[in-house]
Amino acid sequence: MARRRRRSGTRRQLERGFVVLTLLLVVAALVLVLVLDRRVTAQFEGRRWTLPARVYAQPIDLYSGQQLSAKRFAAELERLGYLAVAKPDRPGTYRRRGDEVSVHVREFRFADELQPARALRLRFAGEAIESVQDASGSEVPVTRLDPMLIGSIFPIHGEDRIVVSPAEVPPLLPEALKAVEDRKFETHRGVNPLAILRALFVNVRAGQIEQGGSTLTQQLVKSYFLDSRRTFRRKAEEAVMAMILDARFEKADIMNAYINEIYLGQDGQRAVHGFGLASQFYFGKPLAELNLEEIALMVAIVRGPSYYDPRRHPERALERRNLVLRVLADQGVVGADAAERASKRPLGVGEGGRRAGSFFPAFLDLVRRQLRSDYEESDLTEAGLTVFATLDPLLQEKAELALAEELERHDKSGRKAAKGLEGVVVVTTPQTGEIVALVGGRRASFDGFNRALDARRPIGSLAKPLVYLAALETGRYTPATVVDDAPIDLKLPNGDRWKPGNFDKKVRGPVPLVRALTQSLNLATVDVGLDVGLGRVAKTFEQLGLEEAPSELPSMLLGATNLSPFEVTQLYNTLANGGFRSPLRAVRAVVDEEGKALKAPELEVTEASSPEAIYALDRMLIEVMNRGTGRPARQSLPPELVVAGKTGTSNDYRDSWFAGFSGAHLVVAWVGHDDNSPTGLTGTTGGLAVWSRLMGSIVTSSFEPMLPDSMEHRWIDYYTGRETSPYCNGSAVSLPFVEGVWLEPSIECPPGAVEPVEGAYPGPAMVPDGTVIQDAPAQVP
Amino acid sequence: MSRVLILAASLALSACTLPPFERTPPERPAPPAPKPGPSGSGPVLTVPPDVTPLPPGQTPSEIPPPTTRVPKERPRVPPATLSAPSKALVSQAQAQRRKGDLPGASVSLERALRIEPGNPLLWIEMGRLRMDQRNYPQAESMGRKALSTSVGDSTTQSAAWQLIADSLKARGKNPQAEEAAQKARELSTY
Repeated sequence: MARRRRRSGTRRQLERGFVVLTLLLVVAALVLVLVLDRRVTAQFEGRRWTLPARVYAQPIDLYSGQQLSAKRFAAELERLGYLAVAKPDRPGTYRRRGDEVSVHVREFRFADELQPARALRLRFAGEAIESVQDASGSEVPVTRLDPMLIGSIFPIHGEDRIVVSPAEVPPLLPEALKAVEDRKFETHRGVNPLAILRALFVNVRAGQIEQGGSTLTQQLVKSYFLDSRRTFRRKAEEAVMAMILDARFEKADIMNAYINEIYLGQDGQRAVHGFGLASQFYFGKPLAELNLEEIALMVAIVRGPSYYDPRRHPERALERRNLVLRVLADQGVVGADAAERASKRPLGVGEGGRRAGSFFPAFLDLVRRQLRSDYEESDLTEAGLTVFATLDPLLQEKAELALAEELERHDKSGRKAAKGLEGVVVVTTPQTGEIVALVGGRRASFDGFNRALDARRPIGSLAKPLVYLAALETGRYTPATVVDDAPIDLKLPNGDRWKPGNFDKKVRGPVPLVRALTQSLNLATVDVGLDVGLGRVAKTFEQLGLEEAPSELPSMLLGATNLSPFEVTQLYNTLANGGFRSPLRAVRAVVDEEGKALKAPELEVTEASSPEAIYALDRMLIEVMNRGTGRPARQSLPPELVVAGKTGTSNDYRDSWFAGFSGAHLVVAWVGHDDNSPTGLTGTTGGLAVWSRLMGSIVTSSFEPMLPDSMEHRWIDYYTGRETSPYCNGSAVSLPFVEGVWLEPSIECPPGAVEPVEGAYPGPAMVPDGTVIQDAPAQVP
Repeated sequence: MSRVLILAASLALSACTLPPFERTPPERPAPPAPKPGPSGSGPVLTVPPDVTPLPPGQTPSEIPPPTTRVPKERPRVPPATLSAPSKALVSQAQAQRRKGDLPGASVSLERALRIEPGNPLLWIEMGRLRMDQRNYPQAESMGRKALSTSVGDSTTQSAAWQLIADSLKARGKNPQAEEAAQKARELSTY
């Protein structure tokens, strides 16, 4: 009895111990599940509810008279993934026959209206659209193409991906995924033990891991935590998390998350996640427009994006695609005939040149920043925003190309200082202040540091036009005012001496204002700036749109001020826009999921300078291009195109700038080294070369500012500033003056004189010796 | 004589290069810019904006010498007009304004401005919209922008001054508003 009691006591103790242990294990498991639950749910919810904002480029307007050739229009359609077909009868298709293009434009919800899908017929005449007609043959005054999706961003944090909503997914895709990857998806509880066992069996027999038994849910979990280690612990955690997801969320939500999450390839340094982006990456068109064989290929790639890479291993990819097609037919997802026909077609993957949608990280970074500064944060956290951006994809491409070609030219020049240069190009349409292109460096990718916005560099002679504008605004200066290009030796407040010099170390003596600017004379500029006053010059920077006026040091007159290319663009945009300041914009409008526009900054113009001063300055900037430091650009530009601009070079040739504009575009280019070492380039040989390569390759118009009522043009001698006659003097230049102002007449060739020789008109002359005038580096102490 | 021919040719050319929606017909003054071609392209004839094209047969020596300055007669420019796409977008914007959809109207007008950024009528239209939005300083700015793009076109300038007058009045700046309104009246009687 006693023994029995003892035994039963032991047993009881054992039992108790067992219960405690079990309890502990259960508690531990519960804690683990809770921890995993928290992690996976947070991830899933986070992804689900922060649907990113989709960012669209500006749409192409179609109207009679638009400067667009049939060839370029067809190229634009291709870029947007329109299909060339014999009979364009469904959205996303077109047909070109010489100068006539029939296109079925896709439906698109713009910020102002829902534009329905419609058939259009366009006739072209040379470089322009001649007519736009609808299906009934009546003229359409103005319409637009659906814009190009240039990326998806999370305005609050940053990431670039094309997220699709269930409505944009072709119904075939989830069916095919289930048939190939996870047949029991609709019924299992996150994991499929049978599939795991089968996989185990296959793997043990093969002696290596050949088959995965993961459900779509498990694959999704795996993708969330980006850990591909195949340890037992990872697998167990994944399985638990998959069960948790399955318990918590609808199958449809999980499927949609999978479609937006899964890894499908590599575009350079950028991982391609989600079928939306992958569809752009492989086929260059929206997911919704994929056909059977294309969907089959995508499903094939899921298993091994690099092994089945259709560009690098087309045979493997084709074989697996056809296997997928057979499976689909076997499972009854598609008809056997359809599968058979589809398996005879080629892969249809776009050539290597086609990028995943497009990749504009520098521009998208600007979009993100402007959203955050101009919109309510609470609006931005809303799901499914659509952002209408200002980017012009064609111009962006040309700007990237111009910069790349120039930098490559420098790489090959053999000069050590010119190797590995970096550069920035910013392009705006001045009258609306829209950023239409933004290139942040020779490679499109960048890691956090956006040169166009963040690289602050001395602007060199780009400061001079502001000095001269300040002078003209006083009313005491005209383009003919004689200023002194003489040695300067200045004692600065801190005791340093400042002795700037001209580029060629020469001193010109008395020169008219126009010559001082076009030849970028340092000493004359300091003379003007000190006379006008540093405070006044600093204020001009603010007037033209700089947020904070530069410090009032004499060296600022020669551009010792550090500005980013974006800030320079803001300043010069005001010059290009006739003295009207418009805040630069990368975003036109933002609408929420219901299509309602968010409260947004609208187009603004503010008069920043007197019309007379700005007109006189603009005309002098035209002379910079005709006879000054900008003249080399002429070789790349059509002879009749009027442009204006200014070079800039910082101390020791560290920064090479050019800012210049036509009637339709302002282009700011910077070339330099990230480590700020000398480049050996002036503004003319660096920035201007990029600028003219780009300006010469785009469709643009002449800069033709209107002469203010109170002004008139008069001929003055470029070297003396005296009034002269255009008919007898090779150095006469036509410049604006307030009506009736007194100008000293030329002695050798007074106004009204006529050259005795009849015949050819001499034309405005260049600098007599024909030398190319280089820009003067800033020379800052 | 050859000079005159070149002049005529250059004027004809400048008319040809007008963009399709240039709101002024070819009789507008020749482009003011001296436009030298690339070196070696030969002489380029340029016409300063205040020199009226010479009648055939007149030589440059018959131009009155510039030293005897008389207040010059400004070339008159016919009233600005809207191109077909702008017209469509302006009527769309007006419909949106009537419905009270002011942001929508702004989007439509911006679209028109991208097509014809130099058309003063669009800037005036945008200014009128800003008046509706009670953004009076911007309404005035749009008026000034219209002035700067309508030199010589008294009809349009009058409308721009009227817009400026209204925006000043809305801000209680009555003396300046009256001055602007006076300018609008003077210009309308041209």
